[in-house]
Amino acid sequence: MHKLLDMLASGVHDAKNQLFIAESIIAAAEAAHGIPLGEARYAIESAANRLSRTLTAYHLMRHDAAAAVTPTIVGDVCDEVMLAQKKHLAERGITLTVDCQVIDEWPLDRDLVTDMLNNAVQNAGRFARQAVHLSATTDDEWLCLTVDDDGPGFATLPPASGTGLVVAERLAELHTRHARQGSLQLSNGSSLGGARFELRLP
Amino acid sequence: MSDYSKKRFLVIDDQAQARDALRTIAQQVGAFSVEFAANYQDAIFRIRNNTPDIILCDYMLGEGRSGQQLLEELRRFNLLPDETIFMMVTGEQSYEQVVSAVELIPDDYIIKPFSPDKLLLRLDRIVAKKRFFDRYYKEKRKQEYANALAILEASRESEEGRPYRFEILRQRAEVFLASGDVQSAESAYRGILEAYDFPWARAGVARSLHRQNRLQEAREEIERVVARTPHFFDAGDLKATICMAQGEHAEAQQVLDEMAKKTPRNYLRKRLLAEAATLNGDTETALAAMTDVLANDTMPGAISAEDRLATARGHVNAGDKITAEKVLLGLRDTEVQKMTLAEQASFAALLALCSPEKGKARFAGLRPAMLGSDFGATTNVDILRAALSTGDHELADLEADHLMAGPDAKKVFSTLRAQYSLHGREKDLREIQRQVALKRIHHEELIPEKPAGETPPA
Repeated sequence: MHKLLDMLASGVHDAKNQLFIAESIIAAAEAAHGIPLGEARYAIESAANRLSRTLTAYHLMRHDAAAAVTPTIVGDVCDEVMLAQKKHLAERGITLTVDCQVIDEWPLDRDLVTDMLNNAVQNAGRFARQAVHLSATTDDEWLCLTVDDDGPGFATLPPASGTGLVVAERLAELHTRHARQGSLQLSNGSSLGGARFELRLP
Repeated sequence: MSDYSKKRFLVIDDQAQARDALRTIAQQVGAFSVEFAANYQDAIFRIRNNTPDIILCDYMLGEGRSGQQLLEELRRFNLLPDETIFMMVTGEQSYEQVVSAVELIPDDYIIKPFSPDKLLLRLDRIVAKKRFFDRYYKEKRKQEYANALAILEASRESEEGRPYRFEILRQRAEVFLASGDVQSAESAYRGILEAYDFPWARAGVARSLHRQNRLQEAREEIERVVARTPHFFDAGDLKATICMAQGEHAEAQQVLDEMAKKTPRNYLRKRLLAEAATLNGDTETALAAMTDVLANDTMPGAISAEDRLATARGHVNAGDKITAEKVLLGLRDTEVQKMTLAEQASFAALLALCSPEKGKARFAGLRPAMLGSDFGATTNVDILRAALSTGDHELADLEADHLMAGPDAKKVFSTLRAQYSLHGREKDLREIQRQVALKRIHHEELIPEKPAGETPPA
């Protein structure tokens, strides 16, 4: 069983290295010829994220996934989501806005949380009419990260539970602190009138 | 946004294509000068000769080396100035687990693939952070700990310090530890644990307890860290060190043996393994580890007088006095003169042990300096052994008394017993032990408010 994991991990690792080479060549071509290839780079990074997520899901299935918690500046996470998604959404006429009210560092798994938010913003972008909003606030010792859209909202609540959702819920739960556990909530309570993704971390 | 066009970049990766890719990305953030290092040795050579401003280092460097090991080595030899940015680059998600656990971390790490914009964002953040801690780093480097702490206290209260509150607490605890204020270090690390159970903070508690000689408590804390984060090897090293202090040498050696297999080119760990194996009576492993260190720890200045002495000690323990003598006499006079007094004492003692005719006079010459001096347990044991073998009972018993009354009593007890019985003097050792215990009781009666601390083995 461990052998399989090593094989998967090393395959993902090699693939991501190759994707990085591709991204660097594209970035150089963009600079040299002044042609915007952001969407190509976006596709490459999405592919890499999918690979990582698959490996993470496998760890979750094996029950050996652990959050790598470091003190993280919440605003930095929001900035990175913005950087990764804004242009891509703009291509489709959707505006991504960010409002981070949290100044202090928060203990969280930076890469996992960033990936979850990227994923949530991507999903929101699929249904949004013209706006997606990411916000970070604190609420009684909890960090609340929400992604709102102005789309039609979920047809049924709770939404039909797909693999992605199950994984995301489990990843939220990996964040524990003083016997409190992170959670994920999907609702139609968006400030923009559509769906809301809310990640609460202790 | 900072200007990176005048910064000197060093890209470290064993794969040529990956180096090119990193250079390309660095050029997009404005880098003009980008040097390459293709392996570990090359990287150290370049950093030593002309320290770059920004290092982009791949985590996997091949040949059993990792970027993390490089980072540790650079810090060990003080080759990384505070201004230099060290960014780990990795395709491995597992590096995240390392960063979240260990005490020694890079300025940041970034997962491949990434865009020039993302690198820029990350670099700008590091620059801002380094600027924030700039005055503090300077004081810390000068070992002006009171000043460094004052700066941290002020930042803790400030609005600008809010995004760095954990970093400030972490630095504060490290300064307490470095300055020797181990009680304050302990409470600083415990304060961090109240906010979140970070492995590095719990290891800090264990380290502080160990330095207070509160061994059992230290052991419990470090066991928790090792169980939760087995890839946090420094925690394993600390556990082994605590085991040795507790006299559990077999356990110490086992911990180090397992880790040394996973980190075959970590020579500080090999040295620790040699120490544990020596205490555990496994002379073969001890010698093999020291031979590996002498042959392969190729950093200039890495091999110290202490390493030569440890090797000679290994040969003495293995009963090979001729080779031990060769190692000792292989040291040049200038090297011996440059040794600390403790090392000179060990040198004289070991030489007297393997070659009485060559070493006895030197050993006798140092006797006045040895009497009642605390050179550290290893040297004091060397002196004791030489004294026993040259028939200097007074000196031997003085050393035994000193060792058994000190914090290393449990660590060296089995060695002392073996040495005394080798010379048919077990009874004398028991008497010394009894006297030490009596003195301790007397001492505690006089100063009852002082904590009792650890008692030597009965």
